[in-house]
Amino acid sequence: MLDLDAYRDAMAKCSHCGLCQATCPVYREDFLQTHLARARMDLIRAVLVEGELPVTKRFREVLDRCLLCTNCSRTCPAGVPVDEIVAAARNRVYQGKRRDPVRRRLLRRFMGQRGMKGLMGKAGTVAHKMGWTPAELAPPASKPFEKRYKGRISTEGKARARVAYFVGCATNTLYPDTGKAVVDVLVHNNIEVVIPEGQVCCGMPALADGDLALVQEMARKNVPVLAACDVDAIVTDCTSCGLMFKSKVVKALPADDPLRPRAEAVAAKIWEVTDYLDHVGLTADPPPLAESYTYHMPCHRSWTPTLDDAPRSLLGNIPEAELVELEEPDRCCGAGGTFFMDFKELAEGIRSAKLADIRRTGAKTVLTQCPACRSFLRTRLEDRRVTHPIVLLAEAYNL
Amino acid sequence: MKGLAKDLKRLVASERVRTDPEDLFAYSADATYYIKRGRPDAVVLPENTKEVSALLKYAFHHAVPVTPRGAGTGLSGGCTPLRGGIVLDMKRMGRILDINRRNMSAGVEAGVVLADFHKAVKKQGLFYPPNPQSMNVCTLGGNVATRACGPHGVKYGATGDYVMGLEVVLPDGSVIAPGGLVSRSSAGYDLTHLFTGSEGTLGVITKANLRLLALPPAHRTAMVTCETIEQAGEAVSEILAGGTLPAMIEFLPRMAIAAMNRYITPPLVTEGKAYLLIDLDGTRDEIQAQADQILGICRRMGVLDIRVIEDEQEAATYWTARSNIGGMLLAMMKKAINEDVAVPRDRIPEFVREIQAMASTLSRVVLGIAGHAGDGNMHPSIFFPEVNSDAENEAEAVIRKVVRLGLSLGGTVSGEHGIGFHKAEFLHWELGEVQIRLLKRIKKAFDPKGIMNPGKLWKEGR
Ligand SMILES: Cc1cc2nc3c(=O)[nH]c(=O)nc-3n(C[C@H](O)[C@H](O)[C@H](O)COP(=O)(O)OP(=O)(O)OC[C@H]3O[C@@H](n4cnc5c(N)ncnc54)[C@H](O)[C@@H]3O)c2cc1C
Repeated sequence: MLDLDAYRDAMAKCSHCGLCQATCPVYREDFLQTHLARARMDLIRAVLVEGELPVTKRFREVLDRCLLCTNCSRTCPAGVPVDEIVAAARNRVYQGKRRDPVRRRLLRRFMGQRGMKGLMGKAGTVAHKMGWTPAELAPPASKPFEKRYKGRISTEGKARARVAYFVGCATNTLYPDTGKAVVDVLVHNNIEVVIPEGQVCCGMPALADGDLALVQEMARKNVPVLAACDVDAIVTDCTSCGLMFKSKVVKALPADDPLRPRAEAVAAKIWEVTDYLDHVGLTADPPPLAESYTYHMPCHRSWTPTLDDAPRSLLGNIPEAELVELEEPDRCCGAGGTFFMDFKELAEGIRSAKLADIRRTGAKTVLTQCPACRSFLRTRLEDRRVTHPIVLLAEAYNL
Repeated sequence: MKGLAKDLKRLVASERVRTDPEDLFAYSADATYYIKRGRPDAVVLPENTKEVSALLKYAFHHAVPVTPRGAGTGLSGGCTPLRGGIVLDMKRMGRILDINRRNMSAGVEAGVVLADFHKAVKKQGLFYPPNPQSMNVCTLGGNVATRACGPHGVKYGATGDYVMGLEVVLPDGSVIAPGGLVSRSSAGYDLTHLFTGSEGTLGVITKANLRLLALPPAHRTAMVTCETIEQAGEAVSEILAGGTLPAMIEFLPRMAIAAMNRYITPPLVTEGKAYLLIDLDGTRDEIQAQADQILGICRRMGVLDIRVIEDEQEAATYWTARSNIGGMLLAMMKKAINEDVAVPRDRIPEFVREIQAMASTLSRVVLGIAGHAGDGNMHPSIFFPEVNSDAENEAEAVIRKVVRLGLSLGGTVSGEHGIGFHKAEFLHWELGEVQIRLLKRIKKAFDPKGIMNPGKLWKEGR
């Protein structure tokens, strides 16, 4: 359970060495110790565990002004799970009510329907008023992915493996092209794809709000559907959905919850799609594609050790396609799910360093798996295209 | 302090003056937070020397304590605000002003992060050797103020050896620039190096001119597994006396290796009682000659294992693991106190042996030792499996014993971290009352009202 009390020891592991200053995107903008993991851990302990200080507006701001990007945890020599502790603290402070009722209703609908369509139509106007559909979000596609692909997509000959495809909200409504590329590339490489019915949002937006009940609600829909698939692996194109299924969904369920074993089974099978393909290898050699691209590493990538390099390694199979590395490929872009809507100026500042780095490369194609990064970067890169690595591979195959 | 925030907001932009309890809490300590905290009345983030000067003038006039702060990675409580007042966060003064290839020097603001500086000079084929293991975050101002050192110390010396000149704001707000851009000067008392290591007690360092070297063309890392601590100590002495000067030579105990193995593949054998992590630099030929000599010595001594890591990226994992030891060990413990007693190089084996004897008598805390063996800069550390008053008492008693031992071997209470509040009493042991009185008079000459970082260096403040 993402219960703060379970993290007392983990919080105490923070030795205040301050090494998190090197990679916290918020600290690197604000230059204020208060907005740094070590202070957050210390304040959460002092306010919510020991009760030395009261819960104030400023304390809530310190809690909210965190991207949950996990960069600090990666840097931390003691591996303190800062994102989970902040989420648990938000849960304690907000009790699922971090947003006003209108926004909560919208979010719930968005998550239940896997995408933006719930925010359009009548509710759309309200959503717009609430600042929920800013320019940074791509307009929803005319036909969501789920209306285009369903059920089982078989290979021509005998398949060497079968995978279930978890289609995240963004792919479903904003980027169905990514979903198409995932299916086409897998099938082209002799892997059968099953798209299980009844999927909903992975729960990440609710986790960010500390809304544990809503995380669980999503888990209760997703886990049975995914666990019931007779497949070799479950793939996702989104690094954040992957993080949820790999390490957060299980933790979000009570210890004795009957769903837990199935959630664990899903965790054992979840793969990010480029990582999966790189792992099993391509059976079809991609034809040459003269294209120079750069790669932005999504922050939510440490749930499996090979994910860091998977897209580079996989696309390395395309003759003539050239990767131009960023100076800091692992530096956050500032999107942080919906963080950029809550802290516009701050996110803008974080993004500007990323954009400068991207422009320096001269590459016309920017690749990244995270749909939040993708839409947030896209609006300021009009002269470049920003897409998922799998799309480039599909292009090479001419699919 | 009534009206303080309002006054300060007249001197710097209001968003750079912080007085919310949460912000004051975040600035209450450095990496020694579990020993002691303070509570400032305000946190101010100046952006230039003019602002620092205006702030100090104000503080001087109203006798408000001022504690300068870099990245807050200090290990002796240097930037912990013991008497309230203003904490001056220098991180916003983070510009590298110039890198002068022809003079082999650079001008920086105090808040520049060391690793950023390393990167910037490296781009020009230059090299700034000091590398405290907090280098990814600590500031050059903090390094100068503590005379920080690191593994490179054995070959290249400490921060102080690279400071050519400073810009300092004195407590009354006046700005001076001792030293300059020359690498030698015999012009009167060496104020430049008096501020170097002054731990924020004499004034605020706003800029520094630092000496640079040419970047060594190549590196190679080696890990030596020694059967005993004596063997490791003897190997260090033999290597250095034999004319090989490694860029780094780190002494690591078995306990550290167990933690480092999380980063290293294949993991190191843990049969050794002591390990030496060595970095060689120079031209390829120089490195080869040094490596041959070291291998010869180690084989002759019958060490358990020698691993040479040719690949630079792989070698980097060893050094990353090295800099993360403290934090990693802490992941298994509840609290740690890091000391930095330095002893003459030839006394290292004796020092380590005695420390281990002490360690075996402890029941509530764990005493471990690692260090920059090349220059005798050792790090005895106390780890707490549980925190309670018995453990605290045992820790305090053993720290005192360790410090006395270091002094009796002709060492110093602080090789590189500085005194802060944590070692104030020990400084009395090392210097004696005559020297302490002299230090206090020097302090008074610079800071007649005692506003700069009060409560540090010696007992009873001022
Ligand atoms: C994981 C870890 C590893 C470390 N490894 C090493 C090591 O290998 N070698 C080593 O020497 N140290 C090491 N340290 C200790 C610490 O990093 C150094 O002492 C460093 O120099 C402190 O820099 P800082 O910017 O964090 O300064 P702070 O901790 O913020 O301040 C240190 C002192 O300098 C003063 N000060 C800071 N800036 C100024 C300024 N502009 N003007 C005047 N006074 C100022 C402060 O008042 C304080 O007294 C380590 C610390 C950690 C947490």
